[in-house]
Amino acid sequence: MFGHILKYELKNGLRTKDLIIWLILFPIILGTCFKIAFGSIYEKTEKFSSIPVAIVEESENAAFRQVIEGIEKADEPFLKATFADKEKAEKMLDDGDIEGIIFTSDDISLTVKEKGIRETMLKSFIEQYKVREKIAMDAINTAPEKAQEVIASLTSETASSCREIPLTQGNPDMYIQYFYNLIAMVAMFGCITGMHITIQNQANLSPLGARNNCSPAPKSINILACLTGSFILETICMVICVTYLAFILKIDFGDRLWLVYPSAILGGITGVSFGFFVGSLARVSEKAKGAILVSISMLLCFCSGLMMGNMKAVIAENIPWFNNINPAAVISDCFYCLNIYEDYDRFISKLITMAAISVMFIVLGFVTSRRKKYASI
Amino acid sequence: MENTVIKINNLVKRYGDLIALDHLDLEIKQGEVFGLLGPNGSGKTTTINCLLSLLSFDKGDIEIFGKKMTPVSYDIKKEIGVIMQNVTVFEELTVYENIDYFCGLYIKDKAKRREYVEEAIKFVELGDFRKFYPKKLSGGLLRRLNIACGIAHKPKLIILDEPTVAVDPQSRNRILEGIQELNRNGATVIYTSHYMEEVEQICTRIAIMDKGRKVAEGTKDELKRMIKNTETITIEILDIPDNIAKEIASLPHVYDTDISSGKLTVYCSGGKHNLTRVLEVLQKNELSFGRVYTELPTLNDVFLEITGKALRDKED
Repeated sequence: MFGHILKYELKNGLRTKDLIIWLILFPIILGTCFKIAFGSIYEKTEKFSSIPVAIVEESENAAFRQVIEGIEKADEPFLKATFADKEKAEKMLDDGDIEGIIFTSDDISLTVKEKGIRETMLKSFIEQYKVREKIAMDAINTAPEKAQEVIASLTSETASSCREIPLTQGNPDMYIQYFYNLIAMVAMFGCITGMHITIQNQANLSPLGARNNCSPAPKSINILACLTGSFILETICMVICVTYLAFILKIDFGDRLWLVYPSAILGGITGVSFGFFVGSLARVSEKAKGAILVSISMLLCFCSGLMMGNMKAVIAENIPWFNNINPAAVISDCFYCLNIYEDYDRFISKLITMAAISVMFIVLGFVTSRRKKYASI
Repeated sequence: MENTVIKINNLVKRYGDLIALDHLDLEIKQGEVFGLLGPNGSGKTTTINCLLSLLSFDKGDIEIFGKKMTPVSYDIKKEIGVIMQNVTVFEELTVYENIDYFCGLYIKDKAKRREYVEEAIKFVELGDFRKFYPKKLSGGLLRRLNIACGIAHKPKLIILDEPTVAVDPQSRNRILEGIQELNRNGATVIYTSHYMEEVEQICTRIAIMDKGRKVAEGTKDELKRMIKNTETITIEILDIPDNIAKEIASLPHVYDTDISSGKLTVYCSGGKHNLTRVLEVLQKNELSFGRVYTELPTLNDVFLEITGKALRDKED
């Protein structure tokens, strides 16, 4: 009986247009829009890249040239140097092709056009070089036979002093949060399939519910089979969504993508359970119930930051407990913890919260659907 | 043959202040096609829903196959086929899949189920539509699919709640013939309708309901014998003098007359040759008249006489 109902639940679900639109097409379209809108903002504005500079050698400085060459050989060099004469360098600076000119003579000087982080980095680099150069010169004067060794050391120390130090091993792109929220939204939309379980099994909600209640299939078996079917359908949708984001849109979910999948699937189960519980609460028409449920889901997604990135922070500041019970926020937090934190403590804590919320919704859904006879249908 | 299949004893169902079923008693025997006839809101569907243990009720007992019916009476439910007033099928499953789904709730054996589903498809003549989705079917075909879903598992008791609502005459006839065939094959049938012609056509015994009460019960002949009217004579006539109208009203077995809209209607109770006597009066007084027709009493007349109102609205 269980297998028979499950088989047809899956067949019915896979052919339901609403499910395909909201759980597969909608996130694909929205994810693509997010990618177009936010995809290159981080790379253009916040991700560190080599600073283009021109070097004007007013007199030969072999040690400095060696340091620059050493820096450029690095995997991610912080300088991209062009050796040029003064006029060409100044034209490049005016044209915005470079961010500074380094003049090498007896002294090393820097000319920049604007003030900013990258210009400050250049200034810091020059100052550090000067300090290290003085130390090196003192060392050479003391022991001339070690001159080459001292210059090599000067090169490596100066190069390594200017580099990007990541705060996390994950993807630090703040716009990735939108994609976490998108996955959370798909998970929450699982509530639509959850709602159909109650409609299909409660005699007072639909003629089909009444018809099913006339059959010799126990209600608990019916509901369990439908829940299992919905979980499977939601799992398929979550896998499609994450795969599309990770492999087609190339969204960087950090180095633990293999954990994103089970987290998304558990999130989907939370969404279905939420719909199952809310669907069993009030006796209103299927359309009204669907509209109410989608509205609640969207509201929860809004509170988790889907539409406004700082919304979750605002809620955390004013009603902190709400983020801990908002399924959408818990799901997106789970991905955030997975990406940002090295250890698994917070991630596991979020998984446990999701599982607990799901179990609570399922139990409450069963309790409210348990009625066998109705006062009116 | 005369085993009791359903016994409803003193059933009371209230919706707030409204009494939907008022001390209803029914006993339905094996092999009967039992009709529940009544206008909309008379309590037919409420009776069915109580019978199927979908609705709670305030008072009374319901027994099916000699056992008390409860929501968990799965052994009883196995033997019942239900055809709801609304079409209850899955929009995203084909005709075959829908029948197989519902049949599978009753029959576990796959080979047997396949056979039953094929028989049901053949029975409702949906062979050409087996791969169609419900939204592609006409109203009549959809009703037939609904019936196939209810009877595929070969139930001993079939409950049909207004299965012909909004169905074309051709499909309606096919459905009614099908119900009679199911009955001939051994099923006991409960049939609710507000179409008296259907009930008269297929039901072996009928209960007439009004305002949650059973107002009459019996075979159609027994019901018709309950009322005074045995014959209604209608004659198209432009004008009839009062004295002649009085003469007709005083004829033997005539208990009422009505002259309106160019028609003389004569209500008779018992007797023979009533029409001949009325026509003799008209001919004797040299009154010309148009069409003449006579009708035997219908269930509507029974209902009218018992409750003082027509069984269904004219637009029905």
